Amino acid sequence: MRVAERTRPDGGKAAAVTAGTSLPSTTQAGGRRRRSVNREGLEAGKRSTRTLLWILLAAAMVLYGFPFLYLLFTSFKTPIDTIAVPPTILPKEWTLENYANALGRNGVLASFINSAQTAVISTVLSLVLAVPAAYGITRYKTPSGRVFIMAALVTRMVPPVAIGIPLATMMASVGLADTPIALSIAHTTISLPLSIWLMSSFFEAVPRDLEEAATVDGCSRLGALWRVVIPVVSGGIAVTAIFAFLASWNEFLFALLMTAIRSQTTPVVIANFQTQFGLDWGSMTALAAVYSIPVILLTLLLQRKIVAGMTLGAVKG
Amino acid sequence: MSTRKTITRFAVVGGLCTAVALAATGCGAGGPSSTGSAASSTVNVLVEAGGHAELTGVAEQCKKDTGVTANFVELPYDGMFNRLSSEFSSGNVSFDVAALDSVWLPSFKDAVQPIDELFTDEAKKDIFPALVKEANVDGHFIGMPAWTNAEIILYRKDLFEDPKNKADFKAKYGYELAAPTTWKQYQEISAFFTKDGMYGTDVKGAVETEWLAHVLQAGSPMVLDADGKVIVDNAAHKEALDFYTSLSKSAPSGAAQVDWAAAQNLFNQGKTAMTRFWAHAYRQIPKDSPVAGKVGAAAMIGGSAGVAGVPGPWYLSVPKATKNTEAAKKFIKCAYDYNNLGIESSLGLAARISAFEKYQDKPGYESFKPLIETLNGKATATRPSTAKWQQIVDTVLVPTLQKAVAGGDSAALLADAKKQIEDLLK
Repeated sequence: MRVAERTRPDGGKAAAVTAGTSLPSTTQAGGRRRRSVNREGLEAGKRSTRTLLWILLAAAMVLYGFPFLYLLFTSFKTPIDTIAVPPTILPKEWTLENYANALGRNGVLASFINSAQTAVISTVLSLVLAVPAAYGITRYKTPSGRVFIMAALVTRMVPPVAIGIPLATMMASVGLADTPIALSIAHTTISLPLSIWLMSSFFEAVPRDLEEAATVDGCSRLGALWRVVIPVVSGGIAVTAIFAFLASWNEFLFALLMTAIRSQTTPVVIANFQTQFGLDWGSMTALAAVYSIPVILLTLLLQRKIVAGMTLGAVKG
Repeated sequence: MSTRKTITRFAVVGGLCTAVALAATGCGAGGPSSTGSAASSTVNVLVEAGGHAELTGVAEQCKKDTGVTANFVELPYDGMFNRLSSEFSSGNVSFDVAALDSVWLPSFKDAVQPIDELFTDEAKKDIFPALVKEANVDGHFIGMPAWTNAEIILYRKDLFEDPKNKADFKAKYGYELAAPTTWKQYQEISAFFTKDGMYGTDVKGAVETEWLAHVLQAGSPMVLDADGKVIVDNAAHKEALDFYTSLSKSAPSGAAQVDWAAAQNLFNQGKTAMTRFWAHAYRQIPKDSPVAGKVGAAAMIGGSAGVAGVPGPWYLSVPKATKNTEAAKKFIKCAYDYNNLGIESSLGLAARISAFEKYQDKPGYESFKPLIETLNGKATATRPSTAKWQQIVDTVLVPTLQKAVAGGDSAALLADAKKQIEDLLK
């Protein structure tokens, strides 16, 4: 016979309840009331926690979303409205003129294609190099692996402008000036270190037993990687791909230094709306809004994979 | 095994995308090769984004006349210097003609070809004297001015012509309210209009050119004398700085952060009655601005040395590394011959005196007479010819100006600026 002593939400001691014993009806009714009170207390606690979480989430959304919303609203403003002093959030008069100006500008469509080409190549290059590198580092744990993963971060420690000009010169000297492949390689130097680090943390989270089991079932080491490990870290690969894609899609400095007529990407075209003779806010924000659509769609499309990837990294150890 | 299928699908799609991208990568989506081949009739013209429109008409005419086709490479101003430095230093350029800001000419003088043959006597007579002087570096002409600009006075015609304002102003200051021509008038008119939430003028603490124009008006060369000696602490620099900062009480607060864009916004929003601004802004007032159709233009004000402005020209130069010199020079000749076509572009500027004069009496071009007067001003001069100029501006002149408009002691600030500039030039 077990006796449980329960604590009421208000901190007082509840009456002892003896399991399996028939109690007087008043005592049973009292127990039900107390359980009901406990449940209501817990529910109320959950509700207030949930409300607090929603408030925090809403605040975070406003904090992160406001700059984008302001950009979006500005893209629908008339020229004089975009430079209003003091600035207004909503357009006084809504117009699509900025979109017509921005999209009608020479070279905009070509710049979108160039951005997409560059970002896709850079993402694939990053993954092709980062996945085996990260796997080798995490599984073999050699001293040189540890040095390598630290050394991979060195390129992130140097200001991009310091390597941008030499890179542009090198690309020109091998005949790759003004080509998306040259820019993709340059972008890979940015995304590769981050990709290796990200993938390493995802591989760390995969138990070795899985690979060993696959080996017992007849898989080679590479077979186990391809058939077992990679499917498990597919969420992590999606996260890494998104980061690599974004790093290339939004990159400006290398694109400015290394592209001209053939391969100019959209961030440079967007910057061209700021000239020495004025700043066309409306067209600049319109093109920036359009340029962000593919990234938003891609993120929504891969949302489940991203969440899975993030939680994969969170449960390691 | 659905995850495996997903991965395989990703790999296939990714592989296809890469294959397509790599296949297309050979040329990019932007068009033809950017590295001009020898003796080609196509030239690549590197130009700041704002200046592209200026040369579009020229390019069309040039193709008709000479068969030379121009492809424009547009870059934002802030990145252009780095890009030019990078390509010139590599000796492998992606352009055959570059539009260079006047302040860059001394920096790139060794990377561009002389174009003396294009500066005929007739051409030299038709280009503003300050520009002819600036284009000549170490005895050779290295850039043909494509368009030029200078600060003039833009003012609210409706406020200046208002009978009550005219009467009140005359009663207070003893002379007629009209566009200012002197420092004193500018100060008094600015003070007069500073009321009821409006300001007489702006004070731009984040840019140095306007203060330097006042230095010229006070009778001194800017920052360096003819021998390269630093004179930023002389009486004229101090007088100009004191005048500049005295306008702060008739201008919106936060002058240290006010740059060209902010000043233009304030004027176009109807917050300031006058502004000293680049002439092109007259034609760029938005149609829906509260001041549209109510703006007058006048020449830059004068000090003891008379009217003066700092010209803001852009020059077309031919890199030594191009393989397409002949076509590049043909394009520059076209840009000179059809210089007036730039006036009909959105920027609306030119470099030849005859081009400005052709349009000065036409409606909509009221800013041209004041611009010509300012560019011909006896004290008008270009910036000192030193490769360190941009560095002097960014690290010394602008910070000095910002401290001055925030209430710093002008004599002490200029003495400090002199020391810093001397250190930079060592």
